[in-house]
Amino acid sequence: MTALLEVEDLRTYFSSRRGDVHAVDGVSFAVERGKTLGIVGESGCGKSVTALSIMGLLAQNARIVSGAVRFEDRDLTRLSDRELEDIRGRQIAMIFQDPMTSLNPTLTIGLQLTETMRRHLDLSRDEARKRAIELLEEVHIPNARSRLDDYPHRYSGGMRQRVMIAIALSCNPKLLIADEPTTALDVTVQAGILDLLEELRDQHDMSMIIITHDMGVVAESADDIAVMYAGQIVEHTNAEELFDHPEHPYTEALLGALPQLEDETVRQGRLTAIPGRPPDLVDLPDSCRFAPRCPYANRNDGCTARTPELRELRPGHLVRTAHPASERQGAPSMAEATR
Amino acid sequence: MVLNPQNEELRELTVAREREDTTFEAGAAIAQTSLWRDAARRFAHNRAALIALFAFVLMVLYVVIVPFVMPYDPNAVDFSISYVNPTWAHPFGTDEFGRDLFLRTALGGRISIGIGFAGTVAIMVVGILYGAIAGFVGGWLDNAMMRFLDALYGLPYLPFAIITLAIFGTVNFWTMVVALTVASWFTTARVMRGQIISLKENDYVRAARAVGARWYRVLFRHLLPNTLGVVIVFVFLELPGVVLGEAFLSFLGLGINPPNASWGSLAQDGYTQYLSHPYIIVIPSVAIAWLILSAFFIADGLRDALDPRTQAAA
Repeated sequence: MTALLEVEDLRTYFSSRRGDVHAVDGVSFAVERGKTLGIVGESGCGKSVTALSIMGLLAQNARIVSGAVRFEDRDLTRLSDRELEDIRGRQIAMIFQDPMTSLNPTLTIGLQLTETMRRHLDLSRDEARKRAIELLEEVHIPNARSRLDDYPHRYSGGMRQRVMIAIALSCNPKLLIADEPTTALDVTVQAGILDLLEELRDQHDMSMIIITHDMGVVAESADDIAVMYAGQIVEHTNAEELFDHPEHPYTEALLGALPQLEDETVRQGRLTAIPGRPPDLVDLPDSCRFAPRCPYANRNDGCTARTPELRELRPGHLVRTAHPASERQGAPSMAEATR
Repeated sequence: MVLNPQNEELRELTVAREREDTTFEAGAAIAQTSLWRDAARRFAHNRAALIALFAFVLMVLYVVIVPFVMPYDPNAVDFSISYVNPTWAHPFGTDEFGRDLFLRTALGGRISIGIGFAGTVAIMVVGILYGAIAGFVGGWLDNAMMRFLDALYGLPYLPFAIITLAIFGTVNFWTMVVALTVASWFTTARVMRGQIISLKENDYVRAARAVGARWYRVLFRHLLPNTLGVVIVFVFLELPGVVLGEAFLSFLGLGINPPNASWGSLAQDGYTQYLSHPYIIVIPSVAIAWLILSAFFIADGLRDALDPRTQAAA
């Protein structure tokens, strides 16, 4: 059986006054049925644009230059707007970063919940309402029946994100894309939302893409993780492998920038920051995109002359660098190099 | 043991938040007010707006009721009582033809306010549609529509209305409404376009599209209802402009035909005798000012009431 979603060599560019912004530049990945893919990267690395490209919700100045988004053997990039509208919400649903602004303040929660169902499923008003109550209960909103006619301002941030999840789930989509689902929430609420997502993924037999800048979020919930940098995937493997044997210097740096409490001996004192900034996405260097910030660059292995290809270092472990951790000899570790 | 009161407070807050979100026996027991009740309460606390509302209602009652209770014929000519100064029998006096001005001012008010409201509604419909389409579609269409609007903006208001009237070739209530609408829908269209464009960027619009909502649903369900507050304020901002425009045209003799009258033509009647009988011009002028000022103050109060974030001035 093929994967549910296959993204192949996706390139999405924004036109700007200075030239094309290469927001997503040759991204390929697959999401298996029932699995969760985590896409990690810092701001502006193209992870949200990847998601919006899949959904066909790009801004007017963006365009998909090449590549394919195959969802159940249909290429979403070739569908008409109308066909896409029928898939959005029904087959693929998406939740956004900020639940405080993702609900329409002038409509009741119930209306916004039933709206999607009545759009895609052949439900009567009463049936949709009944289902809406069930959904609210499913995402653990207390007193669902009486809260159905409330306006969004009576819900807290965490509850609104639960409502957004309920809306996303209302038509039993096969794929749920969660774009920074916990970033705007209190730390205390984040874990609850992540647990809920995982619980619902299993119940509804969905696949999920979780987009985040927080390694902690994907560590808990993702099966596979793709690390993005400057519009490209730089490392892609399963979650365990990534945390145990990170190969790309950028992944190492990201993990190094993660605060850890459990093991005092591993890291003491200051967190390691990654020096420098990501490259300009309009005027990309010929070198490896991470080279200017990479402590291992300039070792005559060609990575400053051309962009390394994504290669399979081990079965199921893809990495885009000339010097993965396991091939380094006597090289300084990231922490030493940045000290 | 409160070492750091701030910290303690913070923790309590987080605990409260957590309870609301993760344990589920808490319901929605807190009494809350709706947006509209909130707005009404704020409006009621605004004294200027309240007085203006009272004045506005008083004026509307005057023009509606008086023609039913006054025992005179508004158009009957009786030179034996021409230019009677205000008395109990004729509270506003009479004009050159002996017609009672208390009655004629009320009838003129019906026409002035009627044209004002009809014109405002027409302006809203045209302006909202034009602005919403331009803002919603965006791109080259938006550009073309806005440049066209800029060109119209460049033309002076009055000749525009006069030319429209000339095209109709006849002046009555409805041609006046059309002429005034044609001359003054631009600002509403611009404001609506701006509103739609800024609302369009909202996450809930993207969220609606992410669940497959079609364009008309996004526009009519998600965008337009959110402009309601602005629209209500704009009704009371446009109304005085239309009333004034109508008065202006009528004063110049381009408006409602005699023997019917509006406040503008009543003022015109008094213009020639303003030295000997000043009340004839003063009364309709005061009526116009009364209506315009009260509408402006109502608009001001509504704006404050409907947008709590700009309340700082209150």
